[in-house]
Amino acid sequence: MNSLHSLTRREALQRAGGGFGWLACAALLDRTGGAAHAARNPLAPKTPPLPARAKSVIWIFANGGPSQVDTWDYKPELQKRDGMTLDGFDPKTGFFPGSAGPLMKSPFEWAQHGRSGTWVSDLFPHLSRHVDKMSFVHSCWTGSNNHSPALFMMNTGITRMGSPCVGSWVTYGLGSEAESLPSFVVMSDPLKRGLPKGSALNWGAGFLPSVYQGTWLKPDGDPIENLTPAAATAGEAQRAQLDLLAGLNRRHMAATPIESELSARIESFELAYRMQTAAPEAFDISSEPEHIRKLYGTDQNHCKHFAVQCLTARRMVERGVRFVQIYSGGMENQQSWDCHGDLVGNHRGFALEADQPVAALLADLEQRGLLKETLVIWAGEFGRTPTSQKGGKPGRDHNPNAFTVWMAGGGVKGGFHYGESDEVGYKAATNKVHVRDFHATLLALLGIDHERLTYRFQGLDQRLTGVESAHVVKELFA
Amino acid sequence: MHTVRPLQLAKLPSGLALLCAAANLQFGALAATAPLPPDHAARMTRGLESFDREVGDLLKEHCLKCHGGDKIKGDLDLGTRELLLKGGADGPSVVPFHPEQSRLLKMLRHEEEPFMPERKPRLPEELIAKIEAWIQQGAPYSKPLVEGKKAERDRAKVTEEDRQWWAFAPLSQLAPPEAAGWKHPVDRFLAAKAATKGLAFAQKADRRTLIRRATLDLTGLPPTPDEVERFVRDPDPDAWPKLIDALLARPGYGERWARHWMDVARYGESSGFEQDYDRVGSYHYRDFLIHALNSDLPFSQFVQWQIAGDEFAPGNPKALAATAFLSLGVFPTQITINELERVRYEDMDDMLSTTSAAFLGLTVGCARCHDHKYDPIPTRDYYRMLSSFTGTVRSEIELEVDPDKTREMKAVWKTGHEKLLAEQHQWEQSGQPRFERFLQQELPGFTAPPAWEVWTPAETKTSAGTKLAPQPDGSFLTAKGTVPNQENFEFVSAAPQRTLTGLRLEALPDPSLPRTGPGRAGNGNFQLSRVRVEMESAGGERQEVALSGAVADFEQNSKTMGVAAALTGRKGEGWSIGGKEKEPHSAAFTFAEPLTPPAGSRIRVTLEFQSGAQHSIGRPRLSWMSGGEPALAHPTFAADVAELLRGRRSPEIPADRRKLERWWLEQQAPWRALESRRVASEKAEPSGLSKVLVASESFPPVKYHTAGGSVETYKETFVLKRGNVALKEEPATPGFLQVLARAPEQRWAWTPPAQATYFGKRRALANWILDETQGAGALAARVFVNRLWLHHFGQGIVATPNDFGKTGAPPAQPELLDWLAGELLAKGGSVKAMHRLLLTSEAYQQAALKEEAKEKADPANALFVRRTPVRLEGEAIRDSLLAVAGLLDPQMYGPGVADDKSPRRSIYLRVKRSKLTSSMVSFDQPEPLASQGLRPTTTVAPQALILMNSTLARNAAAALAARVNKSAGQGATPERLIEEAYAVALSRAPLPEERGLASAFLQTQAARLGGASGTPTQAASEAFAHFCQVLLETNEFVYLP
Repeated sequence: MNSLHSLTRREALQRAGGGFGWLACAALLDRTGGAAHAARNPLAPKTPPLPARAKSVIWIFANGGPSQVDTWDYKPELQKRDGMTLDGFDPKTGFFPGSAGPLMKSPFEWAQHGRSGTWVSDLFPHLSRHVDKMSFVHSCWTGSNNHSPALFMMNTGITRMGSPCVGSWVTYGLGSEAESLPSFVVMSDPLKRGLPKGSALNWGAGFLPSVYQGTWLKPDGDPIENLTPAAATAGEAQRAQLDLLAGLNRRHMAATPIESELSARIESFELAYRMQTAAPEAFDISSEPEHIRKLYGTDQNHCKHFAVQCLTARRMVERGVRFVQIYSGGMENQQSWDCHGDLVGNHRGFALEADQPVAALLADLEQRGLLKETLVIWAGEFGRTPTSQKGGKPGRDHNPNAFTVWMAGGGVKGGFHYGESDEVGYKAATNKVHVRDFHATLLALLGIDHERLTYRFQGLDQRLTGVESAHVVKELFA
Repeated sequence: MHTVRPLQLAKLPSGLALLCAAANLQFGALAATAPLPPDHAARMTRGLESFDREVGDLLKEHCLKCHGGDKIKGDLDLGTRELLLKGGADGPSVVPFHPEQSRLLKMLRHEEEPFMPERKPRLPEELIAKIEAWIQQGAPYSKPLVEGKKAERDRAKVTEEDRQWWAFAPLSQLAPPEAAGWKHPVDRFLAAKAATKGLAFAQKADRRTLIRRATLDLTGLPPTPDEVERFVRDPDPDAWPKLIDALLARPGYGERWARHWMDVARYGESSGFEQDYDRVGSYHYRDFLIHALNSDLPFSQFVQWQIAGDEFAPGNPKALAATAFLSLGVFPTQITINELERVRYEDMDDMLSTTSAAFLGLTVGCARCHDHKYDPIPTRDYYRMLSSFTGTVRSEIELEVDPDKTREMKAVWKTGHEKLLAEQHQWEQSGQPRFERFLQQELPGFTAPPAWEVWTPAETKTSAGTKLAPQPDGSFLTAKGTVPNQENFEFVSAAPQRTLTGLRLEALPDPSLPRTGPGRAGNGNFQLSRVRVEMESAGGERQEVALSGAVADFEQNSKTMGVAAALTGRKGEGWSIGGKEKEPHSAAFTFAEPLTPPAGSRIRVTLEFQSGAQHSIGRPRLSWMSGGEPALAHPTFAADVAELLRGRRSPEIPADRRKLERWWLEQQAPWRALESRRVASEKAEPSGLSKVLVASESFPPVKYHTAGGSVETYKETFVLKRGNVALKEEPATPGFLQVLARAPEQRWAWTPPAQATYFGKRRALANWILDETQGAGALAARVFVNRLWLHHFGQGIVATPNDFGKTGAPPAQPELLDWLAGELLAKGGSVKAMHRLLLTSEAYQQAALKEEAKEKADPANALFVRRTPVRLEGEAIRDSLLAVAGLLDPQMYGPGVADDKSPRRSIYLRVKRSKLTSSMVSFDQPEPLASQGLRPTTTVAPQALILMNSTLARNAAAALAARVNKSAGQGATPERLIEEAYAVALSRAPLPEERGLASAFLQTQAARLGGASGTPTQAASEAFAHFCQVLLETNEFVYLP
């Protein structure tokens, strides 16, 4: 293993198992070549083909579909027309065609913030201080009014199950800069309110090799499986085992025709050994100074769980992790931003959990100089109807026709607004941005041409943005 | 492709008709469905001038970049007139001479999306007007806009040339060539070809390697040391074929090879999507595969049963279970109404895509939205084939999978049950005198305890028409049918003539209700928004009875879904029991004042369900309490028993006596104990039935949530434009891929018997797939033998096992592939015979050596004259760990096992799509979402962590150590232990160098552990377990040699 130390980190990553490992047998990736047994690290960092504005992504996934007209998309006309019916409203827009009510004004107070004068509802007292870092897209729309197809759309580009997630595509395209951590990490609600609908399929690698799947950090116990050696083999004892293993393997290897593949396997054990100490160190936020932990709100009961996740995310990208997704909220209804009933209670609750930690994340990344290379995204799977969903405490139903996404850092403009929804926020109206366009833009910020990032499966060069045309929203680029 | 319609021609004067036909030819107006104007020739001339003057440049400047130049977005190419008129994915956007029918103008004028030019300002109206005029003039081109552009071939047509593609051609029937020194036909093909490159097979592997290779390859487990020694010493010249036969006869053969096919069949045991509900009956498909392989089910039946087992072998449970092949795909269980039809087409697409990938190695699914870009598969063929599955839905039906076993189990049960009945009867006999005494002496002055008395009201009424059918137990069952969103149930009868203190409402489950109820909502829940009790005097005057309190056995939540909400009838609230569906529930309502109804009055109870949609109770029962607190804990008396016990009537007829006797018995503890045993035993009667997942047209589909509509309502499959259900063309008639149909399609059609519930179209599909002369049979055989070859040789003859089309890899050995396909058919489809054939070749028995010259000459190993070790799949690694540790549980078949710490073989691990077994996924088990013919082999750190730290690996190492200690005997030297461990784990003896490394490790590790582990013996034994773990981590252990 000594040769490793004389290499630069990057060289070492390319040669030895970077991030989470090695892809040794290239037979699959190189389908026409039969069994080319050249060892190749599938997670070796790759230079982005185009100029990259961002190196990594932290995506706050506002699960359940937050209401655009109660958060980031100010609609004075909606306030005026409260209680009136909306002409041209399709009762099948949402999930409950029988419960659609009239237009309902936002119950929150709105004010302008920042130099950009961005309107934000009073749900986000902390985040509203950062609007001048954010690029808002108010004209997003998607292909399904149902949670899991819309989640799959947002995460994989199609409403059906089975395609790789954005994080998998990005890792496939760019490899990993993290030696001892997975390159694509997902954190879900730790308060036992469930996983996003479709659970693990929202971070699956689909038809890409499984090495590109997202690693779900378990909210309890070891965040990554099998990371802790048993007491009897911990430390020196295990080191001795691995030395013996290397010895036996080398002898065996000398006589076989797949030397590089087998040596990749030897090195995968060395990497695993190092990960046992490096990964827990990365997850241990107790080493952060108190003022940083406080900034995120780890001392606040209402948001400490999300604070820990946001702080962990920062530690991840600092260590070269490529793609982090944090789900705000659990599964559906009152467990997530899915405010079918009690819009006020629902959104107040989830905003309170996320507001301070995400604001701290932006501030912390900025003060460390990481924000310029880290793209922070706020997006859910769809928006809500400007009309009410009837009930004792009214809510809003699903709305695939309009929602707002914001991005910050990672080479996007600050205090910038792109696209508009109609005057009440029912449908995207000008400069419409489909989820495919959002994906194309995200990839472009990372230096990837969405039409060139392909993988051959079922006879087709598959891509994240699919066969229909997708458009990069270059207007967002700083 | 449309031409001018004959009808329109007929209307025109004959001279003009001729002219039109000529013009049509001349201008190639492929898409012109509109009639040609009489002055079209003159118009065209003007149009050409306009094209040359400005329109050509306009198109070039504003459109061509995305439509014919760098890109062809939306499949619309303006490069030539033919391409323009052919149109894009949405069909033609220009109709010559008819600007009013030309969508292009609407898009340019931003009247219809997508607005054009995309993301650019609208063109000035004068420019649009010029284009409009040009279309009005017939949209002629004087030359292509892109140099050298020709009309692309019409992919909607299949040509003779298409049929010549190697995979679509008939089998070549070549005999194996002569190759010096080689007898085996496989070797003759390979050696002859290799000889032309000056290459030959590697030397034969030694017997230890061979038995390890064959045993792992055929059964997924390593050989035992005894098996190895026996084989190594076997003097029989036929030792090798004998070994292969023995291995093929083991149950483990099916358990290994079924798993290969499960990747192809995207096998999973849950539905995926939002809830990822378990599909309890899907494991029978896996069991079918194992059984089919072990019993050497012929290839043709293997295909027939998976596509149409219900049609080929209607009474055969295994054939029915095999049809799950079609229904294993993911399916959403929560569907909004406007998604339903799309979801149904996607479901059929999954059936078709999987069928064609698995049996034909074709990506037919690509032709869903457009004619296949590479293979001769027009969209029309796709939909014709898709319509084979019209009406095919996934169902879970009860089947007797193993009748013999059932008979056996039933006999055992019957003996036990009859004994119990006799015992109970005997108790009843001996209790008779005491019951008589009760009747004679106690009953006349009997004071019955407070009890709920079931009310059987005379009249019922519902506000939205639901029929309520009275049941023997006093409940009312709602009739099946459409469930109204909101509804009230009313119950009216003469008021009981006694003082009432409260009302009890029971919500009872019933098999006829959704998920057995007790509610009528899709998930079995209900929401009772209000309960009202009213008195009606003889004169008809109504008065509400005030309710002062309510309790329930369970509430979904205590606020908006608590039973108290039903007292006031607040909007949007009401008593619900979500989370505890499928169980009976009850609520008791207390009257503010005890109620003594006057004679001749009537009482009315109204149950209101106004809060949730379709949330009424499916089987309500009402009871009154008199003479006690209305507490739920009180027992229940049937109405007539109550009459008798309270002395309101004396037992006169035998029926009354029987009712009282039953009640009396229920009060006797010993009888109650016997009764509960009898009930339990009755429930435990083995039916031999289990739920089996099937695909057919015959059974109701597995339930899912939708706000209306159902997949089986789609009785027809349409040709869709761009795969869009909103763009239906004509209904698709069942058919096959033209390129693989060399006879009229009736040849494969099959008409089911008159009484059959299936449609017969899937059987026709299977007939065509298996027809080796006129249909797709030659291709199907090639695809199948290639899969066998792939797993035996580490790579396929065709490197892309699921793609034999133009985008796939060409066959490295086309003659051999065809010969093998022919052999499969000639051997009656015996898969075991094919294994035997492949394994007895010298090619299979080559040693895996480092041969750099050969690698250079043939890097892809297309000649198969060298062998490379292949990493075992996760399943084989896990099973091998368990096997060498002596922990493996040989039990076969049955429901999936959720915990990977189980000692069962990995093929029995549950495949729940949202919770895949991480140890399997880490070792490249694919996500079961689409057919996968080939697994990638990655080597990643999480795999190492599994072998280093997982409970499974550590337990296996400890067990192996214990096993070796035992077999080596007391006081065995470390050297002896090392030898024995090598024999068990790696089927060989350690080399001197390995011995040295191992002994040194044992010594130092024992010394290291000495401090912690207590005695030196303990430290040594711990160190030996550590050594065993290392053996299980070696490359050698996890590679097929």
